Amino acid sequence: MPREIRSVVTGTVYQIEVAAGEQVKLGADLIILESMKMEIPIVAETDGTVIEVHCNEGDSVIEGQVLLMVDPD
Amino acid sequence: MSSKKGIQDKTAPRADLAEVLAAKAQTLDENRPEAIAKRAVTGHQMIRQNISQLIDPGSFQEYGQLAEPAFKNLQGPADGLVIGTGTVSGFRVGFMGYDYTVHAGTQSIINHAKADRFLQVVESLRLPLVLWADGGGWRPYENNINSRDYEETFAMMARLSGLVPTVGVVSGRCFAGNANLAGLCDTLIATPKAALGMGGPPLVEAALGLTLTPEELGPAQMHEACGAIDVLVADEHEAIDCVRRYLEYFRGADGQPGSDPDTSALRTVVPENPRRAYDVRRVIEGIADQDSVLELRPKFARSVVTALAKVQGTPVGVLANQPMYLAGAIDSPASDKLARFIQLCDAHDIPMLYLCDTPGLMVGPEVEATALVRHSSRILNAAINATTPFMTVILRKAYGLGQYMMGALPLRPALLVGWPTAEFGAMGFEGAVKITHKKELEAITDKKARQVRERELADELRAHNTALGLAGRYELDDVIDPADTRETVIRFLVSLPPLAPRTGRKRTIDNW
Repeated sequence: MPREIRSVVTGTVYQIEVAAGEQVKLGADLIILESMKMEIPIVAETDGTVIEVHCNEGDSVIEGQVLLMVDPD
Repeated sequence: MSSKKGIQDKTAPRADLAEVLAAKAQTLDENRPEAIAKRAVTGHQMIRQNISQLIDPGSFQEYGQLAEPAFKNLQGPADGLVIGTGTVSGFRVGFMGYDYTVHAGTQSIINHAKADRFLQVVESLRLPLVLWADGGGWRPYENNINSRDYEETFAMMARLSGLVPTVGVVSGRCFAGNANLAGLCDTLIATPKAALGMGGPPLVEAALGLTLTPEELGPAQMHEACGAIDVLVADEHEAIDCVRRYLEYFRGADGQPGSDPDTSALRTVVPENPRRAYDVRRVIEGIADQDSVLELRPKFARSVVTALAKVQGTPVGVLANQPMYLAGAIDSPASDKLARFIQLCDAHDIPMLYLCDTPGLMVGPEVEATALVRHSSRILNAAINATTPFMTVILRKAYGLGQYMMGALPLRPALLVGWPTAEFGAMGFEGAVKITHKKELEAITDKKARQVRERELADELRAHNTALGLAGRYELDDVIDPADTRETVIRFLVSLPPLAPRTGRKRTIDNW
């Protein structure tokens, strides 16, 4: 079951570290958000495969917004 | 020689006792199948089921089980309020719970009298109080009864502030007088079925012309976000477990050391990149006994974390900045959250642990418009007037008045240590160099070059204010290996004097 990975804060997408189809390991950085001059990493909660990325670098995002979909192994 | 008949005569209740037993039996769940069925429709337990799951078997001494509604046309076992003393995990408590199956848990002439009497008992015996608050406020059917309408319940409840721990549960609809009692509790636990508010739907409709269900008016999630409730749990069973756990923090060291967490992870939890955020809850988990952390108000004012925890079985109140939100800056809600938590710990002599990583107080016109000048002062007022001992760990940033309010030296911590990543400043370095090197920086016309120079100057300041630099000037008692933080906290706890037995109130606890 693909899992929605959501933004934990309101801010901007600073860096996208993964692409659709990529394998990720537990704890790996998926996306780095920026808010209040701090970089806030969104990390993989399980091993899995990135299905879709729903944002671009520089996008403004709000808390709770879906950033990407990951299919856990 | 006695005949079999003779024994029966001696042991069987006489008519007078039989009448009492029958009246008591009428109040019990097994004789109230219709009420049970009604509760089942909304997925709730009976109040007596909650009591039997929370209070140790055989320990409940009920008060007023035989009370009846003053309005004789109404039926109502115990007049809709079940109260008594008992023990939870062997420790004494007072329990007071409204019975929602009796006229929607409303407050009546007789059950107010019961509450008044019982809260006096709770006060005089200094019993920790558990309140199950669900109910609809005043019972309107009793408006026509000739009474003085005099009750002390709310005043009595407020008098308990700081004297004894008070914990409330809301698992359904809870409005007006019932909500007032909930709001007077130190800590409030709720389930997703909670609907809480001071003015219920009939009042809202009469005053504002708005038609709302209780759940639309005061849903649990809203109260979790705005800070009115402290812990949101899945259901009544979890609420009971949470009450049991909560009470444990108010009994001092339990003599059970608890299981050690993985402390080695603390060496890497603060990222090397100073701009990178991390979840400070991982730091707390690396210090506290496993599964001992109870975070209060987790969805409210999220730039700070307030949590009750145990370290080697000793209760500790943890106050931490959360770099994941607002970079750990302290705004007005965060100020209120910290100030109330300090008061809670101080009132009940729970030692505190500050984990500091803050760029300071939040800045900007929006936050100033929230009266940050006043709200932020509450932290300092609460902290400096508290006598419960505390220690402070500077995890990373310690800037400005924000760090001052996070357990800095002028507040006289019993112990002040830093991690190797600690950095200090009276204000943020970037902001400071803009003032101190104003002319030099303004002379640089190229924007990028100016930024580079700004950063250089800020880094020079930063290099002077590292953990080692601070320890060299003896502004820190020690710089520690992050993996040794738990051991350091244990040594702090061991250094504390024994508590004098309490005979009265030390301070009250602000309800906000």
